[in-house]
Amino acid sequence: MLKTYIEKYHTNSFQYILVDDFGGVLEVQNPILPIKKNDRIQHSHPFFEILNGLLPIKNECFEFSCINLKFENTPYVVDITLRPQDNNENLLIIENLTKHYNNYQLTAQTRNESIINSQILALKNEYLKEKETFKNNFIANFSHQLRNPITASIIFSDLLINSDLNTEQKNYINIIQSANKDLKNRIEDILDVSKIESGKLILVDKVFNLKELLNEIAIIYKYLANKKNIEFNYSISENIPEFVEGDQYRLKQILNNLLNNAISNTDKGVISLEVSLNYKRAKKINLHFEISDTGCGIKKEHLETIFNRFTNLESDVKIDKGFGLGLAIVKHLITEMEGNIKVISDVDKGSNFIFNLSLKTSNYNHNQKAELLNEQLLKLDRRYNVLLVEDSELIQLTILKTLASTGLFYVNIINKGEDLIPNIIDKKVDVILISNTVEGFSAVELATSVRNLSKEYKKTPIIVLSTQAYKEDIKRFKQNGINHVITKPFDKKKLLEGLQKYLK
Amino acid sequence: MTVSKKIVLIGHFGVGKTSLIRRFVENTFSEDYKVTIGVHISKKTIAIPEGEQISLIIWDLEGQDDIKKTRPSYLLGTNGFIYVFDLSRPVTFQNLDSELSFLKENYSNIPVKVVGNKMDLVNKVYLKEHHTIFEPHVDYFVSAKTGSKVEKLFSKLAEALI
Repeated sequence: MLKTYIEKYHTNSFQYILVDDFGGVLEVQNPILPIKKNDRIQHSHPFFEILNGLLPIKNECFEFSCINLKFENTPYVVDITLRPQDNNENLLIIENLTKHYNNYQLTAQTRNESIINSQILALKNEYLKEKETFKNNFIANFSHQLRNPITASIIFSDLLINSDLNTEQKNYINIIQSANKDLKNRIEDILDVSKIESGKLILVDKVFNLKELLNEIAIIYKYLANKKNIEFNYSISENIPEFVEGDQYRLKQILNNLLNNAISNTDKGVISLEVSLNYKRAKKINLHFEISDTGCGIKKEHLETIFNRFTNLESDVKIDKGFGLGLAIVKHLITEMEGNIKVISDVDKGSNFIFNLSLKTSNYNHNQKAELLNEQLLKLDRRYNVLLVEDSELIQLTILKTLASTGLFYVNIINKGEDLIPNIIDKKVDVILISNTVEGFSAVELATSVRNLSKEYKKTPIIVLSTQAYKEDIKRFKQNGINHVITKPFDKKKLLEGLQKYLK
Repeated sequence: MTVSKKIVLIGHFGVGKTSLIRRFVENTFSEDYKVTIGVHISKKTIAIPEGEQISLIIWDLEGQDDIKKTRPSYLLGTNGFIYVFDLSRPVTFQNLDSELSFLKENYSNIPVKVVGNKMDLVNKVYLKEHHTIFEPHVDYFVSAKTGSKVEKLFSKLAEALI
């Protein structure tokens, strides 16, 4: 019975070919490949040319799997075994596995394509990351470089406005100061964006007076709105805690950005700021903010992209200020504060920016607040000797004028890093100011050389004037014996506060 | 007189071994990638400077990410190797040292030409960046797509086989 079935269903996929030691075909059974008796097998397909080297070898069997052959335009994929026999005879066994290998080919095709695609994707990703890092570093470095001239410009225009000028000249200086401020803000924005993109923007949580901050902001913007004959309404809920813990600088930045936009985009009507408490739980408070205006509004199609980087709606809002960088930063900061923001707007009717964010609660009280203020009000009791290491003449002059104007400092200026040590040995130095851009030396190297000098120089305050303001830079400075870092651009207040802190 | 020599192309999958052979044998090129399984064998006879002819029996092996995985029977009687990698995919040349050492140790007297394929996809700056990997090993930067240096590769190997 079985024999009947075998005869019915068996398909013979084997071909047997007997060749002599020179490849001459002696016998063929089951013709799968069109190879005939008396052919020379090497001539039938280039594969069989390998037999020239193998046929003389006796007592060894050779197996070749998955050989692709083509005869008369028909492709075959076969396994071939060569079994040398006695008497000048060699048996070639050919197994036709075309169907099997074709199926395998499809699997291999899918697998290889997928691997190659993922490799290409990984490469593209790496390339984009490198490009992004380069861009961010370039922006950050370039912006840092701009800080020196801006610092000089800010300080000199501050000094100039207090000198003997006529009204017209003072107006010109006001314009310069306003432009300086604008330029400084834009550079700060660019730096913020590059920090955000490289994951270096970190919120610094400290206790602060939230109500005071909101009231200050409300007073400033009420004044600015009134100057444009715009009404300014604000309401701050009573149940908002006074002291909270969070990044007050960044919270201010959010509110300033949105309120500045509101003022810029509104020519008449009302601007309002509303702040209320959503909830307070698990040592956190969640605040609800609404900033609305009756300005030019934003087109519906722009609402989705308004928080993207470099979106500028100048054509809509008819203002000369970039809208996008600020809003991209605002959105990022709000997200970092576990919140979200949305905007509702109608063209020619106005916009309403609604957002919430979380801050930590604080146990800080009024007594501590009083102590903090007293500390800040400390005055210097004598004249102090300041040693400045700075190679930029502009900054040298700026600092000299600023410190001289207080009448509290003697300033000794050196241009070169190598002159630092000779200028402190046997000389009275109360504080050393070092620029981080002195040619040939890093601020860290200079500070280390002072600290290593002898015991008496371990405590001399060293303050670095730095264009680098990333958290890790500041950490590195502090680890190397630098007491304080004043970031450029700085104004008179920032410089004096820094000095005062270490000259108590 | 015509002599036959067996040349084997090896390297990772997708580096363009089949394309190089098609360019050399048929002078054609296709952007489509078809995975080779097992081995395809083709033949081309070329003239060599001595006035003789040489028949190149070209074995196009399926790609392997490790040369040691190659079926030993495919390499029987090999007269010359072409090791191919893809210039645009570093994964295909990151182990060049060990791959070539394997050939040197196991097939010490057999000439090997090392080629970076897909030259059309990279620029000079890229080649410079990977200079330390390429410089010690690579004989030719080729492109099966444009045909650049393909003919030269095979004819120089053929000369080395005589």
